[in-house]
Amino acid sequence: MNPEHELRSPKRDLGTVRGDVIVDADRVSRVFQMPAGPVTAVHDVTLDIRAGDYVAVRGPSGCGKSTLLHMLGCVDAPTGGTLRFDGHDVTTLSDRARSLLRLTHLGFVFQRFFLLPMLTAWENVELPQSEAGVPKPARQQRTRELLEYVGLAARADHRPSQLSGGEMQRVAIARALANRPRLLLADEPTGELDSATGDQIAALLDRVNADGTALVIVTHDAGLAARATRILTMADGRVASEVTR
Amino acid sequence: MKAVGFAWRSLVRQPARTTLGVLGVAAVGALLFDMLLLSHGLIVSMGDLLNRRSYDVRVTSTAALPRSGPLVRQAAATTGAIERLPEVRAALAIRFADARFDGRDNLPLAATFEGITGTAEPPWSVRRGRDPHGMDEVVVSESAAQALAVDVGSTLPLSVRCRVADEALPPLPVRVTGVADLTFELSGEITIGGPLAVLEQACGGTDQDEADMILVVSAGDPRRTAAAIRSARPDLQAVTNQEMLVRIQDTGFTYFRQISSVLTTVTVTFSALLITVLLTVSVNQRLGEIAALRALGFSRGRMIADVLVESSLIVGLGAVLSLPLGWALALGLDDILRRMPGLPAQLHFFVYQADALLLHLALMAATALLAALYPMRIVATLPIAATLRAEVIG
Repeated sequence: MNPEHELRSPKRDLGTVRGDVIVDADRVSRVFQMPAGPVTAVHDVTLDIRAGDYVAVRGPSGCGKSTLLHMLGCVDAPTGGTLRFDGHDVTTLSDRARSLLRLTHLGFVFQRFFLLPMLTAWENVELPQSEAGVPKPARQQRTRELLEYVGLAARADHRPSQLSGGEMQRVAIARALANRPRLLLADEPTGELDSATGDQIAALLDRVNADGTALVIVTHDAGLAARATRILTMADGRVASEVTR
Repeated sequence: MKAVGFAWRSLVRQPARTTLGVLGVAAVGALLFDMLLLSHGLIVSMGDLLNRRSYDVRVTSTAALPRSGPLVRQAAATTGAIERLPEVRAALAIRFADARFDGRDNLPLAATFEGITGTAEPPWSVRRGRDPHGMDEVVVSESAAQALAVDVGSTLPLSVRCRVADEALPPLPVRVTGVADLTFELSGEITIGGPLAVLEQACGGTDQDEADMILVVSAGDPRRTAAAIRSARPDLQAVTNQEMLVRIQDTGFTYFRQISSVLTTVTVTFSALLITVLLTVSVNQRLGEIAALRALGFSRGRMIADVLVESSLIVGLGAVLSLPLGWALALGLDDILRRMPGLPAQLHFFVYQADALLLHLALMAATALLAALYPMRIVATLPIAATLRAEVIG
């Protein structure tokens, strides 16, 4: 799991990777130790995410959707079960190795965007590549491609404060794709947007998936979830149902 | 974008906070710089003063500091005897006597007469005119020239306080042959210098053959010279300049060093606290961003480095500003402190020393690290998932 420094176009070659298991969760649980006693946020969830998958996770607030997403994205560790990324047990990885894994194999899109306000759209997209050690010419080419991909080439020099919510989320998606992740995780990506803008973001995510990046989206938005090929519905920390289309 | 560029952009993003931090560090850094200059400045200045002329051994009758202890009796003979020692190149006896003049509106004006006898160079440098040679010739300091409204060629009525009652003695007219910088002139003092014989004459020919101190120019090693004098005259105290410096340091200047040490500690602590507060507030405001960057794969070390570099930039910029600010402040404070009566007029409290500058920079660097410790700990222990969750809920 070394950083992928080589740059390719945003479109992936689906023929070589589609169907491969990226994340394999086997009876994973997450228990939080709270002052009032332990709280099980995720309980015995088993699922795999394969290349090209488009998974939506739905369920009421507090059912464990985001906790599951964080575990799949290696920012939180399960307290039970095993979680493998590309066959590697992520619970045995050091913090540094998990950081490198996230940097080079995973992308995150957040509800509140979390773009860095002092950086331009261009710099926000360039930042993860810089951290991954991508050489400057390749970085610049990739950044230009991604901003064109999300339709914001003309706003490259704008700071987040000069962008609309939809534009910020598009920059955030471009940032998440910067190091060609195999899996893009999005937590309520349309949660802060009006419905029209949310539809634009949903269309962009469709395109990202169609171009070969697996997606796992946590959402309350039924319209967005309906675009996924697999819809998981969670209740009380468990996967209550799974619909595959 | 590397840590330095990233930290710089973070600082520029919040100009008010950055300006406050940099100015705060500059202010306390200036005080720190001044305290470090003060810590050794007096000793350095006193050492410079002692070594300014060629005298490297001082002979007094007791261990008391010159002008504060009993006089050396038979000054001329004693000086001659010391001069004849093979370890001695030249010697000069000096006597400080209170003098009195009529100032403006006939108000009495207190002054000091420095009477000398011996072969070593006189303890003054003539600015204009020439050295006094005759029994009625003197040099005056610039302050004396101004206070007495005299210059080269003027005549002064000199009245001195003699060992015997002086009330009936008439003033001795003396001629000013030069205006000079007198090495031993004290702050606010009016000083006149001339042969010791002038003093004797002003006292009506009574015996004034006494000296506050005998200044000796060694023929080589001052320690050997001092030892030779002590051996030849066990009744006298002979100390080298270095020994004199240690004696002064032990008796008079320890207070300044103690004050300096206390204030140095206070300023470093204050500076560290200021930056810690600013960085902690800044980090707490950006917890969501930090957690998001961690989720995107930025390592814990990188995020810690960002905080450390940010702290270093604030402290570094403040430290750079603190040097000219501190130096200007030192000049002002030095000017005020030098007006204290009883101190050598050419003594300085704040003296530039490369060691003080290096120590200042080292302390500022330590401050940057110290100040960043707590915010670095916040970043290092930040739970990514919990923070992202809290940011959404919040």
